[in-house]
Amino acid sequence: MIAYLVNLATLVCINAILAVTLNFIMGYAGIFSLAHAVFFGVGAYVAAFIALQWTDSLLLQLPAAMLVAGLISVALALPALRVRGDYFVAASLGFQVLAATVFSEWKSVTGGIGGLVGIPPASIGGHAFTDPVEFLALAGVTLVLVVVLTATIVRSSFGRSLKAIRDSESAALAFGKNVALIKTLSVFYSTAICAVAGVLYADYLSFINVESFTIDASTLFMAMVIVGGIGTVWGPVVGAVLLTLLPAALTYLPFLPRTEIGSVQQMIYGLAMVLLMIFKPDGLMGIKRGEA
Amino acid sequence: MLQALKLPVQPMTEPMTLLEIANLTKSFGGVKAVEDVSLHLREGIITTLVGPNGAGKTTLFNLITGHLRPTGGDIRWQGQSIVGTSPWKIARLGVARTFQDLRLFSHMTVFENVLTVMEKSAWFWQSEAGSVSERHRRVHEILDATRLLHKADVRANDLAYAERKFLSMARIMATNAKMWLLDEPASGLDPRSYDRFVALLRSEVRRGITICIIEHNLEIVVSISDRISFLDQGRLLADGEPEEILGNPELSSIYFGERS
Repeated sequence: MIAYLVNLATLVCINAILAVTLNFIMGYAGIFSLAHAVFFGVGAYVAAFIALQWTDSLLLQLPAAMLVAGLISVALALPALRVRGDYFVAASLGFQVLAATVFSEWKSVTGGIGGLVGIPPASIGGHAFTDPVEFLALAGVTLVLVVVLTATIVRSSFGRSLKAIRDSESAALAFGKNVALIKTLSVFYSTAICAVAGVLYADYLSFINVESFTIDASTLFMAMVIVGGIGTVWGPVVGAVLLTLLPAALTYLPFLPRTEIGSVQQMIYGLAMVLLMIFKPDGLMGIKRGEA
Repeated sequence: MLQALKLPVQPMTEPMTLLEIANLTKSFGGVKAVEDVSLHLREGIITTLVGPNGAGKTTLFNLITGHLRPTGGDIRWQGQSIVGTSPWKIARLGVARTFQDLRLFSHMTVFENVLTVMEKSAWFWQSEAGSVSERHRRVHEILDATRLLHKADVRANDLAYAERKFLSMARIMATNAKMWLLDEPASGLDPRSYDRFVALLRSEVRRGITICIIEHNLEIVVSISDRISFLDQGRLLADGEPEEILGNPELSSIYFGERS
C-alpha cells in the first residue's frame, strides 16, 4: 500500500512540474500550446538514450534534455509565434501529431512503438536512486524548486513584461517591449523545465513509449492548468494532484466494474469541466472576476 | 484649391522639428487612409490633430509608431528615417503613445501597469531604469500626479472609466519618451476631469515633453493647442496656429459636416 502511494505521489510531482511549466506560457505569456507532451517526450527520450548509451548521471541527462527540448521549441517558436492566438493552438496541435509519429517511427533512437526498456535508475554523484522513496524525494524537491523558480520569474520584471504582452501585445510593443524575444525566452524556459519532468519520468519508470507523449497527454496537462486555475502559482499543482489521483480513486469505487473505469473517468472529466466553467471559470485557485 | 489653405511656415520663430513626416501614404487595398501627408511635429509644443472620424488620424499614429508600414513616403525622427523599424525600437527611441481603446494591461494592477513600462530590458537586470526603490518611488509619484495612488493594487480591469483614462496617461508618463502621441485621451471625461487632464498635459509640456494629440472636443482643442493640423479623408488640409485653423469657415464646415 505504501509503495502504491509513493508511486502515485511521484507521478503527481512529475505531472505537477508539467502543469506548472505549461501554465507559465498559458497563464502568463498567453501562449496556448497543445504540444506540451512533445517536450515531455523529448526530455524522456533524451534521458533514456543517454542512460542506455552512456551514463545514468542526472547531472548530464538534465542539461542535455533541457537544451534539446529548449532548442527544438525555439526553432519552432520563431516562426510559429508570428501567428496569433487561435492559429498558434492549431499549429501546436499539428506539431504534436507530427512529433508523435516521429516518436513511434524513429526506431534507432526512440525504440519505435515498443519504446525503450531497461532504462537504468538515475544517479547523482554515484548515488543511484533505486529506492522509490528516495526517488519521490528527488521528484518532490525538483517540483518545489520549479515552483519557486517559476513564481520568482513571474514576479520579476520579466514576468511583468510577459503579462503585459498577454494583456495587450500592441501596447507592450508601443512601450518598448521586445515581444518576440520575451515570448521566445518564455517558451524556452517552459519547455526546458518540461523536459526535466521527462527525465524524471524515464528514469523512474525505466520504460517509456510514445503512449505517454501523445495529444491525450497534452490535453490532460492543459486540463490540469485550467481546472486548477490558469495564471496562478498553486493552481496547476492542485490541478495535477486532482487529475492524477482521480483515476486512482475511481478504482476504489466498489460498484464500478473494472472494465468500465475508463469511460466513467471520461464522463467525470467532462462533467467536472462543465461544472467548473459554470461555477468557477477561473479554476479552483483562480481569483474571482471583479475582485482585486 | 484646398491645398491653398496650407499656411506658410516662418522658419525664424519655429521651434526645432522633432519628427518629420514627408509625403506619407498608406493604402489598405484600394482605400487611401493616409494620402501624401507632410507634417512637422515641433519640439516642446502641443500639436493637435483634428478632423472627422475616418480622417486618418489614428492611422497616422500607427504609421509613426511602426504598428503599420507606410505604402510610401518617409518618417524621420530627429533626422533619421524610422520607416520599417519595429515598434518596440521606435518606442525606445523616444516616441510613446496611448491608444483610443486604451489597451491597458487589464489583468495587472495599476501599480504593475506603470512599473512594467519603466522596465526596459527583457532580462531581469534593468540596466537603464535605476534601482528597484527608485523605480517604485517614481511609480508612486506618477500615481500621485494622476490621483490613482489609492487604487495602486486594483486590477486595471476593475477601474472606473475616468480612472482608466488616467491610468493610460500614467503609463505614458512612466516612459522617458520625448514625444507623446495621445489618441483621444480626454474623450468621455467629465468637465472636472478635463481640467485635471489639461493641467497634467501643461505640466508635462513644461517638463519638455512634445505632444501630438488627437482630440474632438473643441473646448480642449482651444485650451491646449499650440498648433493644429487638420486632416480629412487621409489628407492634410491645413496646418497652422489655432486661431487661423479654427477661424477658417471652410474647415469648420467640413468638421461639422456641412459639406455642400
